[in-house]
Amino acid sequence: MLSMIKQAGSPSDAKRGQALLLNISAGKGLQSVLKTNLGPKGTLKMLVSGGGEIKLTKDGAVLLHDMQIQHPTAALIARTATAQDDITGDGTTSNVITIGEFLKQSERYLAENIHPRIISEGLELAKDRCLAFLETFKQKKNTLDRELLINIARTSLRTKLPRELADQLTEHVVDSLLLIRKDNEPIDLFMVEIMTMQHRTDGQSQLIKGLVLDHGSRHPDMPKKLSNCFILTCNVSLEYEKTEVNANFLYKDHQTRSKMIDGEHKLVAERCKQIIDLKNHVCDTPDKNFVVINQKGIDPICLDMFAKAGIIALRRAKRRNMERLTLACGGTAMNSLEDLSPDCLGHADSVYEHVLGEEKYTFVEGVNNPFSCTILIKGPTKHIIEQIKDALRDGLRAVKNTIEDQCVVPGGGAFQIAAYADLMKFKETVQGRVKLGVQAFADSILIIPKTLAENSGFDPMDTIIKLQEEYAKGHIVGLDIMSGEPMDPVQEGIWDQYSVLKQIYRSSPIIASQLLLVDEIIKAGKGMGRAPGNDAGPQE
Amino acid sequence: MLGLSDMLKEGSKHFAGKDEAVLRNIDATKQLSEITRTSLGPNGMNKMIINHLEKLFVTNDAATIIKELDVIHPAAKMLVMSAQMQEQEMGDGTNYVVTLAGEFLQKAAKLLEMGLHTSEIITGYEKAGKKIDEIIESLTVYKCKDIRDKAEVAKCLKATIASKQYGYEDFLSEIIASACIQVLPKKSTNFNVDNIRVTKIPGGGVTDTSVVKGLVIPSDTDGTIKHAEKCKVAVFASGIDLGKTETSGKVLITNEDELLNFSKGEEDSIRETIEQIAKTGVKVIISGSTVSELAMHYLERQKIMLIKVQSKFQLRRVCKAVGATPLVKLGAPIPEELGYCDVVTVDEIGSTKCCIFRQNSEDSEISTIVIRGSTNNILDDIERAIDDGVNVFKGMCKDGRFLAGAGAFEIELSRQLQAFADSTPGLSQYAINHYAESFEIIPRTLSETSGFDAAKVISNLYASHTQGNTDFGLDIESGQPKSTVAMNIYDLFLSKQYAIHLATNTAATVLRVDQIIMSKPAGGPKPPKQGGQDMDD
Repeated sequence: MLSMIKQAGSPSDAKRGQALLLNISAGKGLQSVLKTNLGPKGTLKMLVSGGGEIKLTKDGAVLLHDMQIQHPTAALIARTATAQDDITGDGTTSNVITIGEFLKQSERYLAENIHPRIISEGLELAKDRCLAFLETFKQKKNTLDRELLINIARTSLRTKLPRELADQLTEHVVDSLLLIRKDNEPIDLFMVEIMTMQHRTDGQSQLIKGLVLDHGSRHPDMPKKLSNCFILTCNVSLEYEKTEVNANFLYKDHQTRSKMIDGEHKLVAERCKQIIDLKNHVCDTPDKNFVVINQKGIDPICLDMFAKAGIIALRRAKRRNMERLTLACGGTAMNSLEDLSPDCLGHADSVYEHVLGEEKYTFVEGVNNPFSCTILIKGPTKHIIEQIKDALRDGLRAVKNTIEDQCVVPGGGAFQIAAYADLMKFKETVQGRVKLGVQAFADSILIIPKTLAENSGFDPMDTIIKLQEEYAKGHIVGLDIMSGEPMDPVQEGIWDQYSVLKQIYRSSPIIASQLLLVDEIIKAGKGMGRAPGNDAGPQE
Repeated sequence: MLGLSDMLKEGSKHFAGKDEAVLRNIDATKQLSEITRTSLGPNGMNKMIINHLEKLFVTNDAATIIKELDVIHPAAKMLVMSAQMQEQEMGDGTNYVVTLAGEFLQKAAKLLEMGLHTSEIITGYEKAGKKIDEIIESLTVYKCKDIRDKAEVAKCLKATIASKQYGYEDFLSEIIASACIQVLPKKSTNFNVDNIRVTKIPGGGVTDTSVVKGLVIPSDTDGTIKHAEKCKVAVFASGIDLGKTETSGKVLITNEDELLNFSKGEEDSIRETIEQIAKTGVKVIISGSTVSELAMHYLERQKIMLIKVQSKFQLRRVCKAVGATPLVKLGAPIPEELGYCDVVTVDEIGSTKCCIFRQNSEDSEISTIVIRGSTNNILDDIERAIDDGVNVFKGMCKDGRFLAGAGAFEIELSRQLQAFADSTPGLSQYAINHYAESFEIIPRTLSETSGFDAAKVISNLYASHTQGNTDFGLDIESGQPKSTVAMNIYDLFLSKQYAIHLATNTAATVLRVDQIIMSKPAGGPKPPKQGGQDMDD
């Protein structure tokens, strides 16, 4: 026996057979937790971290990430779902629910003494068929118009946020992506900055065609608002920097010392003057203005010089913002001032500072040809801002996926209903007991429309049957969560993302079969059996 | 099947479902709002709070109460956060948010008992909230015509101050009004709350509180010169001392003459600099950093007054008060960089020496209210009342409309919402009805704290409103309905609208939660706050 060849005292070893049950039960447990989150009518969960921070979320990825799951099987499922989030940015909840359902359906056959291997083979066959069906079911879109993208973003956002808020953000999401999109280049989502402001109510988020920097100028006399500005983006130190070597001044009298003080600053002052000269050169009429945004520091004396010249100078801008700035305003980022010329300047219609309590924000707005933009989220409390931020990220990913896939899938559970019917046909052609696995797969994928119905307050079985009857008539049908009746997702503009579905139905059966084929759980190490927390090191 | 708690780290807590999560949350918020509720209104009770630093607070200001109460329960904390948001945005009406949100949730609990689903309650509440946006404007009873008229402004501030410092409201509202009007910029929406400074000096009585046009710094000058009039003021952000190189320097001395000459050279150079400054006509110097003994000596000689201001922000305020530009380098300033002040003098208020910058001419960007009072607690409490008053003034600058106070607005709103509820089909009717009733909590609390029978007061109020006296509120002296316009009790439109908005949103958010997952509280000392600001501006 294993217990003989192993050190005694690992209490949580699961015996043969029990391991399978344990895994299934963990999968079902996790499913039941996340189930209530699915769909636009899902409810929120409140997460309280160790430090007492509150987070409200419906997003499966956020939830799984922050929940600190310890159970090995549950953690395994959670990790798959997180991978889903990493790859496609959406569909985590669906993934977990589907895995749970695979295990649940398989349990029925296991109880009848069918070997897990057979079910697993069946799942494998069904998976291939299902993915093949997805290829035929998807709708190819060669031209992606704004309306379609808005529909995609809306479908994704509505599952994460209250309806009104979602609708408002939808346009921002799509517009921002259309702005930064360049032909024949992959979309870099980092070029959409998400900036948060704890201010006012949540209905006031906006898309800014330009940038918002989360700091202000550091000089009280600098202008707070300039219009028609040239923008110099640079990464040049405008403060005295110590030499690498250990240097010392030696002086005999005070005059020499004063000279040295001047000398020390001269270098920096000269750079400063170069910039001011350029300003005077390009701003030939009084309505033109100048803004310097520096990634390195600017010392108080230089700030003063800039202030006197009427220049807004920002110091210590974030690196990623430097990249965005040149994309948004044009011009090039300068690493040295030697080849400073008017060509390297960008342009913005207005640059202004906004003070919110103790936080300062600088808006760079009205740029000519923005390839970078900012979505400004406003919300009254931190948890609301966080919630919007997470949802926004998913929305952006959704639109990006669609642009890259060039195709969409009707949503509202339509794919699942159609795939079920197709798998049923496929089942007839399969020989032997493997059939049962295919049947399990087909039953399992129906969980998505079922859960949608359940969360919206309708009877799941009734609804599914209604949908199937409608599908049998040859229509593409999804669930209308308002009425519980079948509807046409194509007409309603409810679209799922192709890559999300592909990822779900590719990864979840694999994990499910893997879990089914586990027959023993052996925990390694001696200390592991003790209560976690004592030996888990410092808590985060 | 494994429950969620089996999967999480040990020590995590998990609540789900209506009984465990929703009702528990409601209960927690109820506890919190019960605490602040009794502090509402002029006759509201004070709370004595000792915070984690063992500092004592005696106040009826809800913002302070909830700030110092270390609330841990997540749902209650959400209430606290929205109240803090109200404080940040409007500076007043925190208690209103907490009380109202608490009441909304309690009514929601009743609805849940009746068997309504949370989503129906939320729909109803949101519908009602939208309805309020439609009707609230029609309930305006007063509009401030001239925000530069002291009597008019004082009248509008009265209700706010009365709810914090009942008995001093007439006196304090005048003081605040005159302080605010003094610094009101030409474009009134640019009014900045920070331009009203408050200096607390123990001693005397509250009625000794006064306004100074200019700035009062509770510290003495450094030299012997204590008084200057009609003077130019130079502000140096750097210290008044000889410059230093960034790289470390060493003095190389080979014989005794050089040793003697070296310090002499230093002396000469500093003397020269200060003489140059004196030549520009500067009589007062303000330094943001250290002043060397030597510089001090020469300043005295030139009869220049020296004031040290250590805080960077205070320095900026001084600059504003006198209209100077802070200089980063020691040297003779150019005329544009100099400020001007009519009187700079050191005065002894109580036993505290204060440096007063007073402007007699029209333009000073800053005015200061010097609060007097017998104990520190009173001073703090008055300060909070003044803060609220100034914030109301700021709100007035944006929007001069006022709603009726003393519960009159709430009764009228409730009445109209109830009528709206009756015309709404579906289950949300119940929710709207309860939402409407929640507003009764305000007059109810007012009458409870003043010692009247709430049920009677509210029915009386409804009766007079139905008769068409829609501005009738509770007179806390007599317990009878009385016209708020006659009593001059007005609440700021913006503040109330925002408060109702926040309270509704918070209630809806709390109701939307159906599961709570709490990690084990992190042990040990809290990590230091991330304050990565660079402080040298």
